[in-house]
Amino acid sequence: MPKGSVLVVGGGIAGVQAALDLANSGFLVHLVERTAAIGGKMSQLDKTFPTNDCSACILSPKLVECGRHMNINLLSLSDLVSLDGEPGNFRAVIRQRPRYVDPNKCIACGLCAEKCPKKVANDYNMGIGKRKAAYLSYPQAVPLKYAIDPAHCIWIKKPGRCGMCAKICPAGAISFDDQEKDHVLEVGSVVLAPGFSRFNPSSLDFTGYGRLPNVVTSMEFERLLSPSGPCMGHLERPSDGKEPQRIAWLQCVGSRDIHRAGNPYCSSVCCMFALKQAVISMEHAHGEFEPSIFYMDMRTHGKGFENYYNRAKEQGVRFHRARVHSIIPADDQGNLKVRYVDQQGKVNFEEFDMVVLSTGLQPYRHMIELAAMLKLELDADNFIKTDSFNPVASSRPGVYVCGAASEPKDIPQSVMEASAAAAEAGRILAPVRWSETSKKQYPMEMDIHAQPPRIGVFVCHCGINISSVVDVAAVSAYAGNLPDVVFSQTNLFTCSQDTINQMINIIKAEKLNRVVVASCSPRTHEPLFQETLRDAGLNQFLFEMANIRDQDSWVHQHEPAKATAKAIDLVRMAVARVRGEGALPYNTVPVTKSALVIGGGVSGMTAALTFADQGYPVTLIEQSDMLGGNGRKVFRNWKGDAILPYVTDLSAKVTSHPQINVKFNCEIKDVAGSVGKFSTTFSDGQSFEHGVAVMAVGGEPYKPEGKWQFLHGSNANVHTLLELDKRFIDQDASLKKIKQAVFIHCVGSRIPERPYCSRVCCTHAVDSAIKLKELNPDMDIFMLYRDIRTYGQRERLYQEARGKGIIFINYDLDRMPQVEEENGQLIVKAHDPIIDAHVTIHPDMLVLATAIQPRQQSGKNLAKFFKCAIDAQGFLLEAHMKLRPVDFATEGVFLAGLCHYPKSIEESIAQAKAAAARASIILAHDVVPAESITAEVNRAKCTGCGLCVEVCAYNAVSLDENGLSVVNTSMCKGCGNCVAGCRSDAVTLKNVGNEQIMAAVDAAFCDE
Amino acid sequence: MTSETNMTSETNETAPWEPKIIAFLCTWCSYAGADLAGVSRFQYPPNIRIVKVPCSGRVSENMILSALKSGADGILVSGCHPGDCHFISGNMFARRRFPLLSNLLEFVGIEPGRVSFSWVSASEGEQFAEIVKTVTERVKALGPATRLIKKIDQAA
Amino acid sequence: MPTINEKLTEEIRTQAKALLANGTVAAVIGYSRGSLPMTVKPTVVRTAEDCGKLVWNSFCVLNLANYLPEVLKSVEPPRGPRDPKPEGPLAKVAVLATGCWSRNIVVQTQEHQVDPERVVVMGVASRGMVSRRKVEEQFAGREILTVEELDHDLVVKGADFEEKINRWSLVRDNCQTCTHPDPVLVDVRIGEPASERKNPNPFQQVDEIEGKSSEERWAWFTSEFSTCIRCYACRNACPLCYCPTCFVDDAKPQWVGKSLDAVDTGLFHLLRAYHCAGRCTDCGACESVCPMGINMRMLTKKLNKDVLNLYGVEAGMQPGSPLPLTTYATNDPQKFIVTEAKAVKEGV
Repeated sequence: MPKGSVLVVGGGIAGVQAALDLANSGFLVHLVERTAAIGGKMSQLDKTFPTNDCSACILSPKLVECGRHMNINLLSLSDLVSLDGEPGNFRAVIRQRPRYVDPNKCIACGLCAEKCPKKVANDYNMGIGKRKAAYLSYPQAVPLKYAIDPAHCIWIKKPGRCGMCAKICPAGAISFDDQEKDHVLEVGSVVLAPGFSRFNPSSLDFTGYGRLPNVVTSMEFERLLSPSGPCMGHLERPSDGKEPQRIAWLQCVGSRDIHRAGNPYCSSVCCMFALKQAVISMEHAHGEFEPSIFYMDMRTHGKGFENYYNRAKEQGVRFHRARVHSIIPADDQGNLKVRYVDQQGKVNFEEFDMVVLSTGLQPYRHMIELAAMLKLELDADNFIKTDSFNPVASSRPGVYVCGAASEPKDIPQSVMEASAAAAEAGRILAPVRWSETSKKQYPMEMDIHAQPPRIGVFVCHCGINISSVVDVAAVSAYAGNLPDVVFSQTNLFTCSQDTINQMINIIKAEKLNRVVVASCSPRTHEPLFQETLRDAGLNQFLFEMANIRDQDSWVHQHEPAKATAKAIDLVRMAVARVRGEGALPYNTVPVTKSALVIGGGVSGMTAALTFADQGYPVTLIEQSDMLGGNGRKVFRNWKGDAILPYVTDLSAKVTSHPQINVKFNCEIKDVAGSVGKFSTTFSDGQSFEHGVAVMAVGGEPYKPEGKWQFLHGSNANVHTLLELDKRFIDQDASLKKIKQAVFIHCVGSRIPERPYCSRVCCTHAVDSAIKLKELNPDMDIFMLYRDIRTYGQRERLYQEARGKGIIFINYDLDRMPQVEEENGQLIVKAHDPIIDAHVTIHPDMLVLATAIQPRQQSGKNLAKFFKCAIDAQGFLLEAHMKLRPVDFATEGVFLAGLCHYPKSIEESIAQAKAAAARASIILAHDVVPAESITAEVNRAKCTGCGLCVEVCAYNAVSLDENGLSVVNTSMCKGCGNCVAGCRSDAVTLKNVGNEQIMAAVDAAFCDE
Repeated sequence: MTSETNMTSETNETAPWEPKIIAFLCTWCSYAGADLAGVSRFQYPPNIRIVKVPCSGRVSENMILSALKSGADGILVSGCHPGDCHFISGNMFARRRFPLLSNLLEFVGIEPGRVSFSWVSASEGEQFAEIVKTVTERVKALGPATRLIKKIDQAA
Repeated sequence: MPTINEKLTEEIRTQAKALLANGTVAAVIGYSRGSLPMTVKPTVVRTAEDCGKLVWNSFCVLNLANYLPEVLKSVEPPRGPRDPKPEGPLAKVAVLATGCWSRNIVVQTQEHQVDPERVVVMGVASRGMVSRRKVEEQFAGREILTVEELDHDLVVKGADFEEKINRWSLVRDNCQTCTHPDPVLVDVRIGEPASERKNPNPFQQVDEIEGKSSEERWAWFTSEFSTCIRCYACRNACPLCYCPTCFVDDAKPQWVGKSLDAVDTGLFHLLRAYHCAGRCTDCGACESVCPMGINMRMLTKKLNKDVLNLYGVEAGMQPGSPLPLTTYATNDPQKFIVTEAKAVKEGV
């Protein structure tokens, strides 16, 4: 039998996500983290693009969940030192370095750090500022336990010399004789998420980094921006603490650079990173602020990125397409002079207060050593090599990899891969699910029925997100005087592990029976706090949040007094609301252990196989009569592997799998039910009961029209990329005869009608051009582009293309290429900005890199069936762009592939596996939680008029044999339409009744 | 702290009248849209007091009248766009009920603009901020609500 | 020669007697003579012998549908609240119904208050009911002893006067603007059917108020409802008001205070009217019974106008179709919605 546990190496966002997905689907997880706390790079970020979410705020709930999870064994300060065995039965040795602080005793009071005399550079703050040798990595650290840095501790270096921490520690937690320990773990699979390092620009002398104090790296700048950073969020430049007004960002420092840095690849994230920093800095600035970005190509190829770019331009971020020659001091005040060469080759100078180097991502040295120990193959850039069509599979069976260790990538992509790796790691272990796990036991719930309300109020600083605008102390003091409020306090981060633990103790000690948290949004944090109530023995529904951040401090940044007054009102309203709330039952719905997959493309087939291999029956519906979708039309992936054979093989696996029922020419007619228990009716009249659904309905190529038509459809020599791919697939010999070819990029993308980048077309076009060169090395090829976006290691293709003499000519929307024909001969006219001259080309073939768009009809209709959101462009909208990239807000429904956003085949595969992994969490359980907030009827007031029956969309209300209304709780979703419709006030919604809502409304006006 | 000094200067006796507006927002679209306005830092006037409700279809006429009675200078009810309701059709029923109520209120002399309705999706942070600006400015132009308000001393 | 009303009265008595005698129904809801001039009394007749009591005239201002659910219950065998429904068909009840009353029976059916199988509608076309208040206003300060009804005139007598006045001029406003005098449901026809009445603008009075400024409308509303004594006669006369606990009696939350404060009475009338939205047939019973002469019908009439304009529905006109607030159309008008585009355009 295989082992029912998994080893996850790396506690950054990818490792944390993989650990949570695995632990929640029935496996014991050992999470090994090299440093003293999990959180990784994401915990160091101030904000995340493109939503500008506070990074710590969205990450913190996941870290806390990881830290508290029954089935995650968190091993900090640990390294994997050996791995033997085979898939299903590995034996891993983990070496844990001493912490010198007993985590079971440490209460995280911080006295050890306060008293420690030894100051060392603060690595969490990228070396800016100091921490002590006794330290906590960062305020929301998980585990929230101090550690002693043996490299700097005076006692450890010379026992007997100091020991201040041991003397002061009230818990007796300091233990200088802590020893290194080896843990031998038997696990079924291994997931590697070792993360990435950043390029050190000290070697690039032209930047002045290391010599000029106001030249910083982007990670250093991130810490300068962060409220938990060395300047507490008040942007100051290092040399003199002045607020910088002119900041330059230099892109591609240590990326796309063979000569000086030796990193040929693009780091994928730095363009958005710089844009975000420019925009956020502008918000921080108190006066004039001029951000400038020096770049080669702006690569905003992700979902929502192009819009962000456009908005940054509107907000006044300046963009220079230029190479920076050098950075020199402008004066003795610390200002800097940037010498750069513009597109026309002219040398310019510009002065700045500060320069930020957008340093590239690169593999950790210790990751390379780890790979060598594990005998994993690395690629040419020393990233962990993965399978061309299985982007999370390393070269060693049973060992999976996710995140930026295999290629530079952003957070959503890393999160997707983490879930995909969880799917792969769990695939062969499905039979031993739940074999090594234990189940969470909550304490007995206190019966509060007869108790008068005792309300506790917790007001959050959220670092400075709230407290820089709202006077949280005043809010807390006010709350403390409200009727029934017996406890009120402020917290720096209410969601951090220590505050959560403290809250549990306070609830118990103060005998609280209602809790109000005034902080961020219930949409993100209510589940965490509700869980906290349960852990404290309170029913989780005795809880309300006052949204004083997203709906107060963030939207009234310049009106602190009014924002404070509003916060006071919101807290009073929440107190009034919670006062009338009662304990509710935890309802559940049994799970139908089968999955519906919609769409028979690569994403849909991949998801179906991931379910089926775990033993879950799958129905896969496809609207055409063939599996494969767009995958059948693309010639090869960017690594050069042909796609059609893979798709053919995949189709065969799907059709022959005993657990998969494929329905061709099939559409959905109706969907009933909800998570755990859907019932879907198809166009053939049959229906299928399933617990989860994956939407993989694909996308479609934009058909060139209007000014983007470029004679497509009328001149036989004008192709789209897919049309050219067909000729490649068919091995069309006439392609060799082409003497001159022109590619036009961004046909239908990045324009007002479609304000997004289609992500894959640059790579696709460049690769097609290379393929043409392979067929006929003498062919002249011109690429008319706006920005070349061969992100990540696809950059090699761009370099190869240039090396092969393919000519790249930049165009912009003001100077579009013109395409004409004369007696069938194509004539392409363009403006070359480098030589500032018009060029005229007479190609034999014109290839249009057309946009990818959502399916116009089917996507929207299907989304409605499953109540899924759609974005402004018609792509399906995930629950959270950063951390829930394959979930919908609607539970039990997941998404993958082009219906989410344009992406490459391996990205679709990763997302499909991730979707199946997330869905499998539901299928792994026998029941899922059902709505607790349901309608109920007061029969004494009911007239039996039936209005509630008519307005209920879920058939949850009916009239009984006495003609009075009854609610079927298991079908009720808690919308409250029946309540609003009832003239007699006979129907109410538990805890969301008129009593509670109007108490909140009335409280808005009476200052108690 | 700077906020303290600002507070005293803002709340002195010459401070202009500021309306209070109750906003009933559905959880799934408009409340999320309001959050997005925050995440995107779209600034809007601090006069609204948001009350989260499951669905715009949860908002009844007596809730609106009662809020007016309690002293709301303005009321905004906002739900998902028609067709996007998380609860399938709650906003469609709401769309039938709301104009009847607001017309009736205007019929008896409640000023147009006191009670407003909007659709704001989870992705419309900017639109939410714009709508709040519009609604607040309208209510400010109308001045303090005087009609259908139950005086506190009478209520007590 | 007998008057129209005398003929109708005779026909009602004959038909009622037959229905009771042959056991078709267990009771007949109609009117009997009242003790004061211009009054009649809603009456339930349970035997053929009693049918001689029944009368029909222009003072039948109460909506008989209001009594139907209760009378239907009265003819069922007695049972406790938890007892199962009796087997087999239940006894029927006949009810006199004009256009609006019959439409209320349709609404009662849509709202499950009445089983249409158990109702025999004795349909009578309405010629418009006379407003006692209008007559009294005409004779302000003089005591009216009798009012005799001819086909087109009323003969009003006092101790020292006798005057003949045109009947139509004294007909209630709701009847004057009514376009559907004939019942929509008829099981037993009384008299001749009436055709739809043409009325270029049945909502003229509403339009007049709408034409006023907001301040003027508020002044009208506050003065119109200022005399309300919260006797709830309007509510009790309305066949739509059948909740066991009225919202005015709710405590948590208390939607409407119980005082005579102008806000409380105003809210009471607004909510009462709103609860009638899409259901009101403008039968006028509320106004007819109001001791203070308040024109509370203006509120329901306004709602009737909007329901017709927005959703194309008049209450009770389409038996079998849903009530307008229990359904929706995907293209329902939504001009009332504030949009960001509007915000920009208006520049407010």
